[in-house]
Formats: sequence, structure tokens, C-alpha cells
Amino acid sequence: MLSSKELTFRDSSLIPIWNKVRSGERLLLEDGLALYATHDLIGLGKMADEVSKAKSGDSVYFVLNQKFEPTNICVLSCKFCDFAVKQGSPEAYEQSIDEMLAILNPDIREVHITMGLHPDWEWQHYVDMVRRIKENFPLIDVKAFTAVEIDFFAKKFKKTHEEVLRELKAAGLRTMPGGGAEVFSERVRKLIFNQKIGAKTWFEVHRTAHRLGIQSNVTMLYGHVETYEERIQHMIKTRDVQDETGGFLTFIPLAFQPGDTGIKTRNNFTSAIDDLKTIAISRLMLDNIPHIKAYWVMLTAEVAAVALNFGADDMDGIVGHERIAHDAGATSPMQLAKEKIISIIHEAGKVPVERDVWYNPLHIYPAEGTTIVSKMPYLNSVPFYANYETEIAELKLSPLVPRVFGQFAKEGKIDAGPMSLLDYVANQDDFEMLDYGVAVKGKAYSVLLYSHHEWKNLSGKMIGITAESSTSVELLRVLLENKYGVKNAKFERLHLTSGQNDYNKFDAVLLIGDEALRRWKVGLSTFLNAYDLAEEWYEWKKQPFVFAVWAVRSGIPEAHKQDIIHALETSIIMSKGHYGELGRDHAKKLGLTKEDLRMYLNAFIYRLGDSEKTAMNEFLKEQAVLIS
Amino acid sequence: MQIKEIKSKVFSNERLDREEGLWLLKNGSLLDLAEMAEHRRYQYNPEAKVTFVIDSNPNYTNICNVDCIFCAFYRHEGDADAYTYSVDEMIARFKKAEARGVRTVLLQGGVNPALPLEYYTEMVRRTREEVPGIHPHFFSTSEIIGMSHVSGLSIPDVLQKLKDAGLNSIPGGGAEVLSDKVKKKISSKKGTSEDWLSVMREAHKLGYKTTATMMYGHLESDGDIVEHLEVTRALQDEHHGFTAFIPWSFKPGNTPFEKIIETYASGTRYLQMIAFARIFLDNFPHIQASWFSEGKKVGQMALHFGADDFGGTLEEENVHASANFVHTTTIKEMVDLIRDAGFTPVERDTLYNTYAEFKEGEYPASILNSERLHQSVDAGIIMPTIPNMIPLSAVGNG
Repeated sequence: MLSSKELTFRDSSLIPIWNKVRSGERLLLEDGLALYATHDLIGLGKMADEVSKAKSGDSVYFVLNQKFEPTNICVLSCKFCDFAVKQGSPEAYEQSIDEMLAILNPDIREVHITMGLHPDWEWQHYVDMVRRIKENFPLIDVKAFTAVEIDFFAKKFKKTHEEVLRELKAAGLRTMPGGGAEVFSERVRKLIFNQKIGAKTWFEVHRTAHRLGIQSNVTMLYGHVETYEERIQHMIKTRDVQDETGGFLTFIPLAFQPGDTGIKTRNNFTSAIDDLKTIAISRLMLDNIPHIKAYWVMLTAEVAAVALNFGADDMDGIVGHERIAHDAGATSPMQLAKEKIISIIHEAGKVPVERDVWYNPLHIYPAEGTTIVSKMPYLNSVPFYANYETEIAELKLSPLVPRVFGQFAKEGKIDAGPMSLLDYVANQDDFEMLDYGVAVKGKAYSVLLYSHHEWKNLSGKMIGITAESSTSVELLRVLLENKYGVKNAKFERLHLTSGQNDYNKFDAVLLIGDEALRRWKVGLSTFLNAYDLAEEWYEWKKQPFVFAVWAVRSGIPEAHKQDIIHALETSIIMSKGHYGELGRDHAKKLGLTKEDLRMYLNAFIYRLGDSEKTAMNEFLKEQAVLIS
Repeated sequence: MQIKEIKSKVFSNERLDREEGLWLLKNGSLLDLAEMAEHRRYQYNPEAKVTFVIDSNPNYTNICNVDCIFCAFYRHEGDADAYTYSVDEMIARFKKAEARGVRTVLLQGGVNPALPLEYYTEMVRRTREEVPGIHPHFFSTSEIIGMSHVSGLSIPDVLQKLKDAGLNSIPGGGAEVLSDKVKKKISSKKGTSEDWLSVMREAHKLGYKTTATMMYGHLESDGDIVEHLEVTRALQDEHHGFTAFIPWSFKPGNTPFEKIIETYASGTRYLQMIAFARIFLDNFPHIQASWFSEGKKVGQMALHFGADDFGGTLEEENVHASANFVHTTTIKEMVDLIRDAGFTPVERDTLYNTYAEFKEGEYPASILNSERLHQSVDAGIIMPTIPNMIPLSAVGNG
């Protein structure tokens, strides 16, 4: 269950839809149409905001990116495009790879490349483009080429989509942008983009990409000749493919800019109301897409800020030299400084989080006076957050895995949350412990060492360790060295994004949280042994293991601290006895049944008492004697 | 929880006090504010209709002796671009506007001590006589106080003379933020909050209908905003003379504030102001949003955050323009903006009587439909451009 929150609506026809949403039931076409038809914009916004909060708390993500359109010369002439020109046209331009590299700088984390379909450029040019960017700027992630370009390359250079994508991936391509989708409707395609690929090919390319480990976005261009029904169908088609592949990261509604395109719409710009509705409805229909982006270049900064309260949890970062939306008459300023993005997100009452391409947080920029509380995104933390409601506006919630939480806490950016035990110890001069935490006596089910070998035979072996937590890793080391006397195992940190890991190259793998739970019943790859580290600890010490303790920064206002404690206490009490419903959707995604879920959550100790405190000290003692 | 208590009060149509107001302004989420604001809005105006007026905002003089630090419009006698128009010249412009379909003129000017009371009364009288199609919505409180100084008459007497000449409504400008500590900093020569309030009180007693305004986004605090709304609300309790409340953000361009206030307050802050005002001013029949002062998209959103009126078409405007802030529209676009926001546009007069409603596809039969008018700081020059007709395609949305 997403939320037990009671919402009131001006339009009572929204009530059954909200009931569906909050119980995790999928919305259908008629629900989507009802949402477009309703006059209760605020009611619609409230629903979308609840969904967005459940997924991303108060975080709004952005990535510092550089947009390139290396050429506007295009073999197609799509009616709705104001950008493309033919070779020889006075407005035609070509940007060399050297010129692109000269523009880049190491602060940029992502490069976004789309462009016209050039009649003459060779295949090697595109591969070089990707390769040289990665060589010169290893930290930059390349998000390049829409399905339209990929299909064009395949046809022109006589390759399959898979071959094209493989070669680009080998050169350094990370993800694909979502452009070229327009509207997944043959009727609309025939009217305004009949030269371009349609839904079938577009999805084919993305399915292939996902299979190769290349994630991607989806766009929807609205506000031209399409109907509301076509918009909802577009979302449903996207949702269906996501069910198959799980590879889409972000959905991006794009407001059409008529400019000189000659396409007759009613007005020069989409209505702000249409923009907000489309964002909110996307969030509600696309229950399986992690993020919704408010594309400020087309929305305007003002609408984007409100959209962040209507279901959007992502904003575009710096967009350099963005031409396509501007030629067709968009009004927003071309290059928003990072400060401006941050200030827009602050205005919206949200927390700016600079991210990498997979939405792993890199930096967080809290507004002055705000107190940021971390939301641990694991199933075992559901009782803390399921009924957690604070009053004070300055209290914000930001989903972070324990290790990132620890890092931001050290930087002074995060002020409260369930801290990984060792992170708390490292920061205990600045933080004070509350009486809440995450502990377990016996099996934890979600701190698992998958291993080809038994404990004693792990000497000298290579173990892949989770990047999400430091305490679990130390527990592993304590067990290896102090319980089993295995002193020279080797460790390598796994990638934060599961899909990027090749588990088979390790002798053993340590997973925690949801990643572990996901494998609890089905196992991991060909690993024969699955050791539950909390169980190992209990067998050895006959004590619970405390994974996390709730802590608040000592300097925060007393009123903030009391509000947090009150919210936690209320949530823990209200959640007890309802684990089956509250965690149900989350559990389902991990392949757990209701019984699994209840057993799992009932095993956890959320209030820390004397035996937990004793156990904590015992662990710290053991950890202190490790050969570091 | 505090928010639950406040919501419960608002939904049972009870009044919020100052503490509750301040708490709400600081802690209310955007959507909570909107929800409560909508409740009040639909209490007063239960249908999905939004009113607007076809108006013009010319200025008869930019010579002023008040020198507000936030103003980019005022000039002093002898400045190269200082001007004052004669009553003749203004009447001629009103006639042209009337011919183009303008129904009301909001006329303001700098406080120019060279102008006698007769100038102002003449302006009103001749407008009523010679331009009967135009409703005069003339003179802010500052100008009325100026008339009182220059004539030696009391405020009630000045208002009576204007009323005798035919004036029955005055605009609400000049309030800025009704907190004296703020007023001292931004417009020390303009007078106190009580000055503005007392002119309005006297006007209401004489039967005038007026608007109330607030310019925020400079040096004011949340507490000042709540104070402003409280005193405005209290005055409304006395005579119910206010028709609408209109907030807008301060524009720093070309003012001394430019150096310390980088840009005007955000769209989100505006929506907060609209919603909060709607909730707090439980005795005001209308809250006016502006496509002009904050931008068209923000204006549209405001219609769902508690505003039930979209202001005027502003055929001419100079004050914002002098701060390099210009938005233009046509009547057609105005009607479309309201419709696209989900409402039926309704043309009204200054006193909020309705002229006509416009269903899908309908527009006011006014010549202004087909002209996009430029605003010019060089007042008086209005340049019609090539008609901007967007064909209504049969291939519509939806």
C-alpha cells in the first residue's frame, strides 16, 4: 500500500481513482481520461505528489549535463521540427569532435547528444564521438542517440540495431535519450512525422538496448494534433514495455513549440494547466517508471517549479547550446546556471540532489534552515516511513542508501536518519542517538553472502562487496577474521547500480537490503551457499545485530528534533500489525509473498533497548581488533 | 496537528487569526494552500468561471515628488522624459480607446504638485460626459492625498468632489506592504499604512468601491505580509467596500533595488500569495490574478490557486515597462488563456457586474480582437501591428 493518507477532493469522481493508486492498483485508459477531464487540478496534483513522495521523498534530481547537437543537417523533413535543414542551406552547421571536446569541462557529468541524420558522416565518426569523449573525460556519462538515430545508423551502415548498440557501448555509450518517440500513434505519425520511425521500431531499439544493459528514457511530445486518448495510450504502451524490460529510467513529457513549423494548434504555447496535468497523469499512470522529468526549457522555470509538486522528481541540469526547442520559439533562458536550478528546486520546497546517470546521489544542496532526514529505501524501513508525517516545513525527506547517507552526514549536509552503525560511530561527535534503529536477532534475510566456498575456504578469494553499506562489510570482515580466522580475503566494491555488475567474476558476493532480498528465494547466479550474516553473528555471540541507529545532528532546532521523534513514534505504532498491506507493493517487486513480508518485517527490532546497546558495543569491540 | 486544525477551520468557514496565518504562510505546503484557497474561492464563486475586464492603464503624468526607492517610473520636473498631459489630451486618448472597445480606464500618475484639484475633477467629469463608454477608475490614494495637500481640503472633501464629478471607484495601488517599518525603508515620503487605509475608509463610507493591493518581494517578512492582510481584512469588515485583492511581485529593474534584489519573486511565491490571500481574506469577494505581472503561465496556474479574476487586458501600461518588464496580449489570447485553464471567460466591468460570457469558440465583439498592441514608455503612442490571427484548426486537441 502506497499510502494510508486520506485525501479530500473537490471532484468526488477522483476518489475511486485515488483508492486504486494508494492500494497499488494499476490505472486504466478510462482513469487517465477521467484525470484529463477533471477540473480538480489540485486534487490531481495531490495524488501525483503522494506517489512522487513515496518514490523520491522530497528529493529532486538533476545532472550537470552538456547538450550537443553536432549537426542540424537532416535527411528527413518532419513537419513539427523547426531545427532540421538540408545540406547547403545557409543555416546548416557541423560541429567537429574537437569542437565538442573544447566545450566540455570536468564538472559536467553527462553529455546528451541528439542531432539531425547526416547524409555523409561515416559510422566511425559516431563511434569516435563517443570514444573520444570518454577518453578525454572519463567521469562523463554519455547519453547519446535516440532510437531514430540508431535505426538510421543500422540502415545506413548495414548493421543490426544490436550491432550498432554494442559498438557504441564498447566505445563508452551509457544510456539512450528518450527522443524520437513523439506520440505512439500511427494516426499522428501519418499526420506529422510519417518519415520517422514509429512505435514498433522505436520500442524494438529500446528493448535491444535494455537487453544490452543500456538504460534509456521515454519522451512524449504533446500539445499538437494528438488527442488525450492518444496520450494515455502512449503512456500505457510505455508501461507495458517497461513491464517486460525494466530498462526505462525517466519519462519526459515535452510541450510542443509550434514556432514556424506550420502546425496549427490553438495557441502558441500549451496551457500551464495542460502541462501540470500531463506531468501528474504521467506520474499516476506510469507506476513502473522510476522518475518523471520536468523539462524546464519547454515548460518555463515557473511551471517547472510547480510541476515538482505535481509528480515530477527530476529536472534538467545545465543545458548547453540547446537549439532544438529554441528554434521553435521556447521562451526560457538558454543556459540555466547550476545555482538557478538549485534555487528553483528550493522554491518548490524540495531538496536538490545532483545525481549520476542512474540516479545515484552525488551531492545534495539543502536550502538554508532546512533539516534533511534520510529515508532508507529498503523494505525493512517501511515501518519508519509508512505513516511518517512531519509538520514543520523545513523538515525534508531524502532517500539515500546508508553509505551515501554516511558520506553526506560527514559533509554536514544530512541531519537525521537511520545511520549505518559505523557511520554513526564515525560521526558521533556531531550526532546524538535516538532509541530507534534496525536490529535483528537471528536471520536478517537481507544481509547475505553468496559464496562458491565455505567460510574457511575463502582465504585469498575475491569477494564483491556491496557499495551501499559499510557496516555490513565490516560485519563480514569481523566474521571472516575473528569468527573463522580467515585473514586474507580480497575485496572489491560492487557498482551501486545492480545491472552494472558481473557477479560471476567473484568467488563470493555480499549483498544487502533490497538487492539481497530480491535473491533470497531464488539465489544469486550459480552461488551454492547463501550465508545470512546476522544469523552467523547470533550463532557466535547469542546477541542481536544492530545494523542502523536513528540519529539526529546535535545542532538542529529542538522543535525539529521533537517533530522527527513524534513522526517516527507515530509511524512505528501505526504500522505495527499492518506490515502485510504497507509493504505489499514493495515486497511484490522483490518477489516476496505476503507471508514472506510479514515474517521478514516481524523479525526486525525497531526500538533499541539495553540488549541492542550491549550488542552494538560487542560489535565495535570486535571491529576494533581487525587487521585493517 | 496544526495543519489539520487550520484546514478544519477553513473548511468550516471560520476565520484564521494572525498566528494561524503566520504558521500557515511559513509551513503550509503549496498544495495544502491551494486546497484551502479553492474552498474559499468556490464559496464566493461556485462556478468554473473567471472574470476579466477590457481596460487600459495610461498615466497622465510621470512627474512625482514621492520618490519611492522601488519605482523606475517617476521623474522630476525638468527631466528630459518628464511629461504631463492636459485633460484634453487624455480625453482624446480615452475616446480612441473607447472606439477600440476599452470599457474602463485605470488612470494613475505621479503625485505632481503642479496640478490643481480642478485638473482631476475635470478629468472625471469630462470622461463621464464625453466618453460615456468608459468607466473611470481613477487615482490612487497617494494622488488623492496629493490633491488634499494642493487644495487644502480634507480627504473626505476631496473624495466628495471627485464623486460629484462622477467617480465611484478608485484603484488600490500605493499600499505596497501595509507595515510601517517596511514603508519607512522603501517609500519614506509616501506616508504610513494608516494613510492608505484612511483614504480607503473615507472612500468606502462615501460609497466608492475600491480594490486592495500588495506589492511583495522586496524587504518584507512573512509577518509583514500577514499584518498587511489583517489590517486590510479589518477595514473590509467595517464597510465591505473592497471588490478584489490584487498581489504582485516587485520588479527591481532600473530601480536602486536592482543591486540588492536580483530578480522578482518566483512564480511559486506568487501562487503562495494568491492562495494565502484567498484563505485569509475571508471577507473579500474576489482575488485577482495577473497574466501581466507574473507571466501568462503563472497567471493561469493562479486560477487554480484561489484567484477567480484575471484582471485587465491592459491596453496601455508604462509603470512595469519602465522597469523593463513587458508582457502583451490580445483580448483573444486573454480569453484563450482563461479557457485553456479550464474556465468560462466572463467579461465584467470595474464593479464586477458581468457584461457577457463566452462559450467555446466565442470572443468579445471588439476590434481589439485583431490587434496586438505594443506598450511604449513614450506614452500615448500605440502601434497596432499586423493582425495576429491564429487559425482555429479543425484538428484540435482532444
